[in-house]
Amino acid sequence: MNSADTGKEGLSRDTPAREIARRLIRSRRPDPAGADTAARAAASACEHLYRELSRWVGPDGCHALFTRALAQAQAEHPALEQIQLRARSEPYIDGVAATIMAHGDAATAEAFESVLVHLIELLGRLIGDDMAMKLIDRSLFASERGRAGPSGTREEA
Amino acid sequence: MNGEAVIRSLPSGVPGLDSVLGGGLPEYSFNLIAGGPGSGKTTLAHQIMFANATVERPALYFTVLGEPTLKMLRYQRQFSYFDPELAGSAIQFINLSAEVMERDLGEVLQRIVSEIERAKPGIIVVDSFRTIAAGQHDRQETAKGFNLDQFVQRLALNLTTWEVTSFLLGEYAAEEQRNPVFTVADGILWLTQATDRNSVVRKLQVVKTRGRAPMPGLHTFRITDAGLQIFPRIPEQTRNRAPQKRGRLSTGVPGMDEMIGGGVIAGDAVMLTGPAGSGKSTVATQFMVAGLAAGETGVIAVFEEYPEEYIARANARNPEIGKMIKEGKLTVIYLRPLDLSVDEALFAILEGVERLGARRVVIDSLSGFEVALAPTFRDDFRESLYRLVGTLTATGVTVFMTAEVSEAFSEARFTTEKVSFITDEIIVQRYIEMKGELRRVMAVIKMRGSDHTHEFRTYEVTPRGVVVGGPLIEYDGIITGVPTLRANPIKAKRKK
Repeated sequence: MNSADTGKEGLSRDTPAREIARRLIRSRRPDPAGADTAARAAASACEHLYRELSRWVGPDGCHALFTRALAQAQAEHPALEQIQLRARSEPYIDGVAATIMAHGDAATAEAFESVLVHLIELLGRLIGDDMAMKLIDRSLFASERGRAGPSGTREEA
Repeated sequence: MNGEAVIRSLPSGVPGLDSVLGGGLPEYSFNLIAGGPGSGKTTLAHQIMFANATVERPALYFTVLGEPTLKMLRYQRQFSYFDPELAGSAIQFINLSAEVMERDLGEVLQRIVSEIERAKPGIIVVDSFRTIAAGQHDRQETAKGFNLDQFVQRLALNLTTWEVTSFLLGEYAAEEQRNPVFTVADGILWLTQATDRNSVVRKLQVVKTRGRAPMPGLHTFRITDAGLQIFPRIPEQTRNRAPQKRGRLSTGVPGMDEMIGGGVIAGDAVMLTGPAGSGKSTVATQFMVAGLAAGETGVIAVFEEYPEEYIARANARNPEIGKMIKEGKLTVIYLRPLDLSVDEALFAILEGVERLGARRVVIDSLSGFEVALAPTFRDDFRESLYRLVGTLTATGVTVFMTAEVSEAFSEARFTTEKVSFITDEIIVQRYIEMKGELRRVMAVIKMRGSDHTHEFRTYEVTPRGVVVGGPLIEYDGIITGVPTLRANPIKAKRKK
């Protein structure tokens, strides 16, 4: 996972970071599925990860990570042009609906997946893959627990 | 329900610290780790966490505003104690910056308590507590009616009732000890790093610990890849020492044992002084080889050259040296940094003594040792050396030290004036001129509790080592460096 290669070619492979990103997105998929299910789930995974990681590294530290990951993903996915991150705000990600409307569900979903992949890889480079995995796993666990529980809530991006 | 409340001790995970603390960290204590930037507070807290955290009783590490958590994790994980497997489960990092920046002390306390209720930790760390206090500086009283004093009181109360051992980290200066947290804390560990000329020396002091008798004073420490390593001023081995038998040990130098009444007294501190090239290191090596030949083990601490060079040179004269090192009967400790503390040197030597069960220790040389010390320790070299020698001999080992004395040719200096008081036996070497040749002589000038010769004896440094010759009874004025032949030496001898 820990690779300096953050170019499009590297990300097109099913890297461990991408697999984790997809697991995160799957854990946020609404049931029943709708027309914009994939994009909403991917954006929701970003929202969720922002909140969970903020517990560890603080909202500002987490915002710095997401800002960098978004910048990298934007270079590959023009669909993310209208996306704005708002630190310490609810929701954290602004412009999801407009992006889906402009670029469609699949392209938006792929773009947010790319944000997650870049973020996971960045985290791995900073603190080591094993530690990054731990943090993401905890986030995933919290997500799945929230989904399974009677009071589980799901964010709308 | 009867009996006293037992205060268990937690291991600190920091070599040397449990000894300084008087047995470890008191369980459920509320502690402050104070010190300036870069003094090692965060590293110390992490070592304590990693030594104690379990999945069942995790450690919570609350970060506030100081070092960003990501950077802290990035750097902390370089230490060998950092086990990534524990991160996230047994050790959980929680950021309090939102509560501190946007809310009040009541909210901060509430968040800490709710996290404690959730995770049921055994240990919590707040890094840095100082920023919590600073964040509330302009708000003497909050919406929930807390000021800083009340916050500290309530935090301490909550942590104790939740059976948590806690550590608040903060950058404090010595003059700030009126801060309420100092009063409430059960234990205060103060870390400092002082710069003296080009060297930096780190020190730890246990300012306060309730219910324990910590080791007083300042204890030097180093931060290595393994984290903090404390060098207590009074090593554990000394306090647990057993009485040793006192016998005589051969020096291994032909003729020298006779000069000192049959050999070095076991457990004594011996100093051999002399000018450069007089053969001090050679004698020291012979002393060690004699012990090895008798089935003993030993430690040599070198300060003036790299161990490889020292061993190669010693091995050329005594091939036994290399063999004994390979067999684990001898260790050569290299102590040459220029920011060395006496306690660190003592720790290294004692560790070698303990590991090998050594009976003989050679320190070659005191002059090199003094230079290797950080400047701040050179000022109290006498006191430090007194402690070093006292601690070593208290373990029962015999310490053989060399010291270089600079001498004008016609002026004899028996010892370095600073350190002769610490020794039981002093042997001096010097050069003299006889018949236009440079000759070497030695004499015993101090031997506590034993008879010894009082005459100068010549000696040679041969390829196999130092060999002592006879006394110069036909000469007068040896001490001047330029002896003169007596007019009637035989008569003179008879008169004597």
